[in-house]
Amino acid sequence: MLGKRTLWQNCLLALALGVVLFFCLFPFIQILSTSLKHQFDWGNPSLIPIKLNLEAYQELLGLGEREEVPIPETVKRLLDNPLLTEEAKEKILSRYRSTKDVFPFPRFFLNTFLLSVTAAGLSLLLAVFGAYAFSRLRFKGRSVIRRSILFVYMVGGVLLMVPLYQMSVKVGLAGTVWGSLFSLVLIYIIQTLPVSLYMLGNYFRTIPFALEEAAATDGCSRIQALFLIILPLSVPMLITVFVYCFMIAWNEFLFAFVFLKQYHDFHTLPLALQSLFVSKNAIWDRIMAASMLTLSPVILCFVFIMRNLTRGLTEGGVKE
Amino acid sequence: MEISVEQRESRLGWGLIAPSIGVIGLLIIYPILYNVYLSFFDVKLTGANLFVGFANYERLLKDTAYYSSLFTTVLYLFGTVLGTTVVGLFVALLMNLHFPFRNVARTVILLPYFAPVISVVFGWQFIFDPVNGIYNHVVVEMLHLTATRHNLIGDPKTALLVVILFDIWKHFPISYLLIISKLQSINRDQYEAAAIDGCGPIGRFFHITLPEISFVLGTLVILRLMWNWNKFDEVFLLAPNVETLPIYTYYTAFAGIIDQGMAASISVINFLILSGLIIFYVKKVLKW
Repeated sequence: MLGKRTLWQNCLLALALGVVLFFCLFPFIQILSTSLKHQFDWGNPSLIPIKLNLEAYQELLGLGEREEVPIPETVKRLLDNPLLTEEAKEKILSRYRSTKDVFPFPRFFLNTFLLSVTAAGLSLLLAVFGAYAFSRLRFKGRSVIRRSILFVYMVGGVLLMVPLYQMSVKVGLAGTVWGSLFSLVLIYIIQTLPVSLYMLGNYFRTIPFALEEAAATDGCSRIQALFLIILPLSVPMLITVFVYCFMIAWNEFLFAFVFLKQYHDFHTLPLALQSLFVSKNAIWDRIMAASMLTLSPVILCFVFIMRNLTRGLTEGGVKE
Repeated sequence: MEISVEQRESRLGWGLIAPSIGVIGLLIIYPILYNVYLSFFDVKLTGANLFVGFANYERLLKDTAYYSSLFTTVLYLFGTVLGTTVVGLFVALLMNLHFPFRNVARTVILLPYFAPVISVVFGWQFIFDPVNGIYNHVVVEMLHLTATRHNLIGDPKTALLVVILFDIWKHFPISYLLIISKLQSINRDQYEAAAIDGCGPIGRFFHITLPEISFVLGTLVILRLMWNWNKFDEVFLLAPNVETLPIYTYYTAFAGIIDQGMAASISVINFLILSGLIIFYVKKVLKW
């Protein structure tokens, strides 16, 4: 009686599936398509480029040849003036250098990558010990702590924007590049730590306690048991949590915007893309190519951790 | 002095959790309190802050811009909460049916959720672009619904609709994921029994499915409320002219006439409302 569909119902199902998949995928296809189109082709609703344009990608990845902008005769004459200092000459010349590197993608990529890896690594390190403590050890105040962690992880970033910035100003961190980066790493750690604690804690609890008891009889201390028994068994979850934290840091915009806005060389990708979009160099193919390149590592991570992540998320560790 | 096994375990426990508590205390708990403190001051970017009592709050409650921002936030929350839940439910019911390549489809629809906001937001800008966008092409050239092309994102009124649609697109997958994991746990015998009793698919949905998943739906509604109450990046990046409360707070704190004391007092009010939601969530959903 159940599970048998008529032809009519099958058509309806196919239609509904088509609509859902189109809704999900269309923006991605649009981005890919526009990143490969020439300017004359942008207004064309067809998703297939009339003529393939790879320049945007080449330019972002620094693969294209550099075009030298010719220096006008009058300026050349000016440069021959012996009264001009070397410094002034350099200044004039730099104006005529290629403007191709307005968006040094590899540099922004590296900035974001280093920042995210550092924050995710530290967050994972703290979380391993913390999660072990409140999932495996009995101590007074344990349940209070577990609940408070759940509570704080619901407090979002926007609410902490002003006080965190003021704190950073007061201790003198916001005034320098490295201070700002340091603040940002700390902020990314606290944005991910509660989730990491929660996800890892839930996972540790699924590992049979008998294993640890056996280790204890063999003379292992609790710390040794953590490193020799629990962690090797948790590798898939450790990777999942690391990648999840990495992705949160990789995507973060607000705090990067507040702390790093003035330090152009240290922009993260979200920040760099936003300033590219509002700048005079905003060209659709370039923006879309940069979007695709920002998307790619996330899609890789996504494929890699898919299975564990969906489990971790449905078991209670969701965070935005 | 000998210490017992329990004491040793307790010490180790505290030792291991202490760094996490330290970081969370310093960078979450302390800032929340510091924020309350700041809200009573005229915060200067350089030099000492000036104590002003409740003046920030008074000015805020007289400010019409604040109320209009509150109203925008309410519309935004209504649209996104309803949208993500309904679409998530629909897709979960769909993906619970059997069809070829179901696993591929189930994975693919999670993509919007995992894609970085920054990498998709300009694609959406392009879709609604007045000159090149496909939206205007379809509405004006193909369907002839309006005579002229509209800049949907440029106008704050229609931009809110785009922002809501974007949020539904981006976040329905997580609703879907939580609903389908519950759907899969419903015993198939219940459906068989209902079918034998003469219940049609619609009756089965209302009598079996909906009661089983109502708890998950409630949880999703309150979680989405809490998350979107603080949503900054996707609104700001897609349409900076849609001033929901987080955007309004940002402008007050970091743009134009910088007034971080005022921004702090907005955050305090927002935090109180959020705490109310969290306590409700904890009491009703987690049932402590």
